[in-house]
Amino acid sequence: MARRAIWKAGQPEEAAPRVTHLDRDRALVDAARVDPARFEALYRKYLAQVYSYAYYELGDHHDAEDATERTFVAALTNLQRFEERARPADGDGASTFRVWLFRIARNVVDDRQRARFRRPEEQLDAAASVADGAMDPAAQLAHREDASAAWRAIERLPGDRRRAVILRFVDEMSTSEIAGVLGRSEGAVRVLIHRALRSVARDLEKGSR
Amino acid sequence: MTAGATRDGGEIEALVTDRYLESLLALGLDEPEPNTLATSIVDRLQPQVRLASARLARDAPRYHPSFRFEERVALRLAEIAASMRVREAAGGEGVVIPIGLHPPETIDPDDLLFAGPLDERPDRVRPLLIGGALTSAALSLAGAAFVAWWRTRPATPMARAVRAVGRGRLA
Repeated sequence: MARRAIWKAGQPEEAAPRVTHLDRDRALVDAARVDPARFEALYRKYLAQVYSYAYYELGDHHDAEDATERTFVAALTNLQRFEERARPADGDGASTFRVWLFRIARNVVDDRQRARFRRPEEQLDAAASVADGAMDPAAQLAHREDASAAWRAIERLPGDRRRAVILRFVDEMSTSEIAGVLGRSEGAVRVLIHRALRSVARDLEKGSR
Repeated sequence: MTAGATRDGGEIEALVTDRYLESLLALGLDEPEPNTLATSIVDRLQPQVRLASARLARDAPRYHPSFRFEERVALRLAEIAASMRVREAAGGEGVVIPIGLHPPETIDPDDLLFAGPLDERPDRVRPLLIGGALTSAALSLAGAAFVAWWRTRPATPMARAVRAVGRGRLA
C-alpha cells in the first residue's frame, strides 16, 4: 500500500478529523518523550534523509552537516511540543513526526540560505563528489556525469518545485507528506512536481544534445 | 479552448503524474510484485515526464554523512538528553509536592497539580509566629504552670505512705 498522507495544510481546525494514533513513529516518539536519551533511535532513522535534503538544498557538505545538527537538536529540545496528527485514512505508513522534522529542517536550511545570500560563498560542485567505489572508472565517470546532469537540473528549479522534487525522489515522501512540509495543499504539490518534471525533462534533453 | 479547460487539463496531467509516482513509490518500497495501477497509468503519462522521473529516481541518490559526523552529533544529542533529564529531576519541568501538610492518605492528587505559588494553595496551612518574645513568653508561662501543678498535685495513697515512713525514720 502506498504511503498515504497525513497533513492537510491550511485546513480549518474545526474541520480536522479526529486524531487517532497511527503514526508509524509513535512508539519511538513516546519512548523519547519519557527518556530523551531514546531520541537516538529517531536520529539514526532519519539522519540520512535530513542530511540529503540539506545537501541538495545547500550544495555543500559542511553546510549540510551544520543544518542537520541544528535540525536534530531543535527536534530533541522541542519534542514535547510535537503533536501527532495521523488519520485513519493515512494508512499504516504515515509519519507525522517525519513531516514535523522536515519542517524544522526546511526552516534551518532557509535560514542558512538567507545567511549565504547576505554573505555569498564559493560553492563546491557537489555532484562531482558522487562516486561509487564498486564501479570501474569508466562506469564511475558516466555515473558521475549523469548524477551531475540530474543535480544541475534540480538546482535550476525554483524554490518549492526544487524542494518538492527532492522530498519526492530523494526522501521518497508521499504527496501529502510533502504538502505538510511545504505548507501547501496536495493539489498544489501535484502541480509543482508535474511542472518540475517537465522542466527537468527539457533540461536533460538540452544536455544530451 | 477556455482558460478553465486548460487549467483542468493541467491538473489532470498533474494527477496522472502523481498517481504514477505514488505507484512507483509503493512498488519500490512496499510491494515487490508488479503493480497494476502503475501499468494502467503509464499509457496516459506524458513520455518526457516518465523519462525525467526515471532519471531522477536513478541519478538523484540519497546521501549519508560521514561516520565521524554521525557519532559526534549522537554524542551531543546524548549530552542534551542527559541535561534535560537532570533539569526534570531538579523540578524544572515538574510539580512541587509539599511534604507534611497532610497525612499521605488525605492528599488529593488534583491539589498536586495546582500551578500557582505555594502560599496561594487553598489547602495550605502555615503555623503563624507573631513574634519571638510572645512565643518564648508563652513557653515560659506554660513551663511555670506545669512545674506548679507537678509540685502541688494530689499524691497517691502509696506515695503518701512512703513519705510517712521516711518522715518516721528521720524523727
